[in-house]
Amino acid sequence: MIAPEVTLTHLNRADGSATYTHIGYSIIGAVNGPIEVQRRDEQPEDATIEVNVRPAVGVGSPKERHLETLLHNTLRSIILTRLIPRTLVQITLQIRSLPEEDDSTGVNTSLTILPHLLHTALLALLSASIPLRTILTSVLIAVPSSASPNTSSTPLLSPTANELLRAKPVRSIHVFAFSGDRKLLLNESDGTFSYAEWAEACEKAEEVCCGEEEEGGVKLDEGESMELDGQVQEESLEKWLRGVVRRKVEWEQRWKSAT
Amino acid sequence: MATLATLVLPGDEIPHGALPKGTGKKKTLTLGPGLRHIPPNTVATTVAGALATDDKKNAALVDYNSGRYLPFVGDLVIATVNGSAAENFNCLLTPNTSPATLPHLAFEGATKKTRPQLPPNSLVYCRIASAGRDLPPELTCVDPSTGKGEGLGLLKSGMLFHISLGMARRMLAAKGGITLLDLVGAKVGFEVTVGRNGLVHIDGGNVKTTLAIGRAIQEVDQGAFGDERQKKLAADVLKNL
Amino acid sequence: MPREAEISLNEREFIKQALQEQIRLDGRAFDAFRPLELTFGDEYGVADVQLGKTRVIARISVDVTTPLPERKFDGIFQIVTEFSPMASPAFEVGRPTDAEVILSRILEKSIRRSNALDTESLCIIAGLKCFALRADVHIIDHDGGLIDAACIAVMAALQHFRRPDVLVEGEKATILSVREREPIPLSILHQPLCVTFSYFEDEVFLVDANLAEEQVRQGEVILTMNKHGEVCQIAKYGGATINPLALLNCTNVALQKVKEMTTFIQKRLEKDAKKRDAGGLLAELSAENAR
Repeated sequence: MIAPEVTLTHLNRADGSATYTHIGYSIIGAVNGPIEVQRRDEQPEDATIEVNVRPAVGVGSPKERHLETLLHNTLRSIILTRLIPRTLVQITLQIRSLPEEDDSTGVNTSLTILPHLLHTALLALLSASIPLRTILTSVLIAVPSSASPNTSSTPLLSPTANELLRAKPVRSIHVFAFSGDRKLLLNESDGTFSYAEWAEACEKAEEVCCGEEEEGGVKLDEGESMELDGQVQEESLEKWLRGVVRRKVEWEQRWKSAT
Repeated sequence: MATLATLVLPGDEIPHGALPKGTGKKKTLTLGPGLRHIPPNTVATTVAGALATDDKKNAALVDYNSGRYLPFVGDLVIATVNGSAAENFNCLLTPNTSPATLPHLAFEGATKKTRPQLPPNSLVYCRIASAGRDLPPELTCVDPSTGKGEGLGLLKSGMLFHISLGMARRMLAAKGGITLLDLVGAKVGFEVTVGRNGLVHIDGGNVKTTLAIGRAIQEVDQGAFGDERQKKLAADVLKNL
Repeated sequence: MPREAEISLNEREFIKQALQEQIRLDGRAFDAFRPLELTFGDEYGVADVQLGKTRVIARISVDVTTPLPERKFDGIFQIVTEFSPMASPAFEVGRPTDAEVILSRILEKSIRRSNALDTESLCIIAGLKCFALRADVHIIDHDGGLIDAACIAVMAALQHFRRPDVLVEGEKATILSVREREPIPLSILHQPLCVTFSYFEDEVFLVDANLAEEQVRQGEVILTMNKHGEVCQIAKYGGATINPLALLNCTNVALQKVKEMTTFIQKRLEKDAKKRDAGGLLAELSAENAR
């Protein structure tokens, strides 16, 4: 799997921003917050979260509204809204480009983009230093139809639009999002599938997102992966995320070692 | 190169070994920004950054330099007056946040009869007296123990420059090491006021000096200049003045 | 309702004072643009413009529809600008600010109504089928000068865009995909570009004001011209009065700026074309078409 490319905190106006590019999807995310919330949206004990998904072409349609709802519900569970009550966290995700074949893959296009939107939103939140309960990682898994009904086919992991096109017809697709402590945050599935298939996909997704199960929970990596230079294939999405944050921290602290 | 600090992501639990030992005078552990305590005895991070610990003060915090300024008690900030209410001024610490309150009486020598008059959009240098999640932050322009202004109050003329939050912390730190200001200050007189909320106010008496110093500070910030490059920059600034 | 934070009194006075001493905050000359950067995406018709700290992305897309009954021989061209909170928390989705209305109106007048794009060339079968071209303008970062940046972005994207070729046989039109035939560029009649002048006391005119300068200015004049010196539109929405002679002077400055920018866009387009043509693939394809 190719690690997504990320640029953090590159916009001047927004409090946090990230540009995320992966297998043909390119999204710019910006976060403003915590800022003043409008009276009608104010919640006495919680922060209000506003998610705007803006398509590359045209103005928002029900598809974008649906994605916004999914993102809102997922992000609400990782943002520590109780720490910043009566404020607004505004998340804007501008889709810059989609893979050329996105429309012709025959699968639900709001699911194929969902992991990328989730990652962009998380990165922008990290860049804005909004207090978070945990991180999240997300992946798409597609199960193509097999030749015979009895044998199950190998699920595709984070397939590119082109791979989906070649694997046509795809029987079901699943989006999973996991928190840093390996808890399932979101699952959206589309198509026909058995429970066994779903469980297999879920297990595989967990492995991709959080890496192999290791004893002792999360341990702080104390420079043991210092040689990591961004080009190396990251084993799990969580490792990738740590790599991104490492670069951010190094950039912020470079004055300490500057001449 | 300096050793890389411990990297943390939100949700990481800090092992007890990484926290200060509490061998100093203070016995209670202080958690700074970016850390939260989950009872009974778990400490977890809430932001991405580098973990910093201070054994002497028995404190731990996460160092990060992005995002919006969040008020903390004791911080020195440059606030913009937004309007005046019955008892206090409404001030903004960052644009589009809900206003902080600055009582009319929180100025040196202010009484009910001699209230300070601050027009909207003027700048005030003040200290954060209280900040919590349930009340708007309260500001003050006097030291509560002495009743003196101690340099706090209305900022006249001059110009405001935006800097990163990390740069503001660096400038306010006791041994901040902004060689640039020391060097330029030896030759040219100017006033500099640093707000923790990412603002610096410069008054060099004339447009040219003010601008040159302000831009130089921004350059040091953006380029992450160390001592050597600051010295060079200071020489350039002085040459052009 | 969220509002753009007002500039402090100190900054306002300082900017005015500096301008009287012929100094701009970023050290630019009064008639200088901020550094302009223009890049194109992998797809045709995406232009990413950076003007100092302002960033605008324009994206052209095409669709096939029936032409408007009163304009049977014309295709449809539409410019859509919608601000998002990305550029500033003061921008709310679905509630246009004055700046947004002015921006879309100026782009409409400058590009659409000045016939920069030959809409007749978008017609496929008169009265039945035509191309509907759409330019989406996304404001990514806002530090003033949105109108100028958006206009550059839309014009560059239009020149960069390639529409699919069509095969017309009587009443039947077939859209040929990119693989079947090399898509063709749009027919652009001229290249209007906007230059915004912000004016202050004592007849000080600034080109390409940043956000702080925009907040302090007395008013603005938006001029749209092409490189041939033809004025497409002049807009002055209220504000303090100005001397008509000063306006004449503005047109001279604008012409010079428009010429510079047109050359700049041209150079970037050529550079992009060269990059796409790596290996001479394009030449090969066009040779095939000629046969």
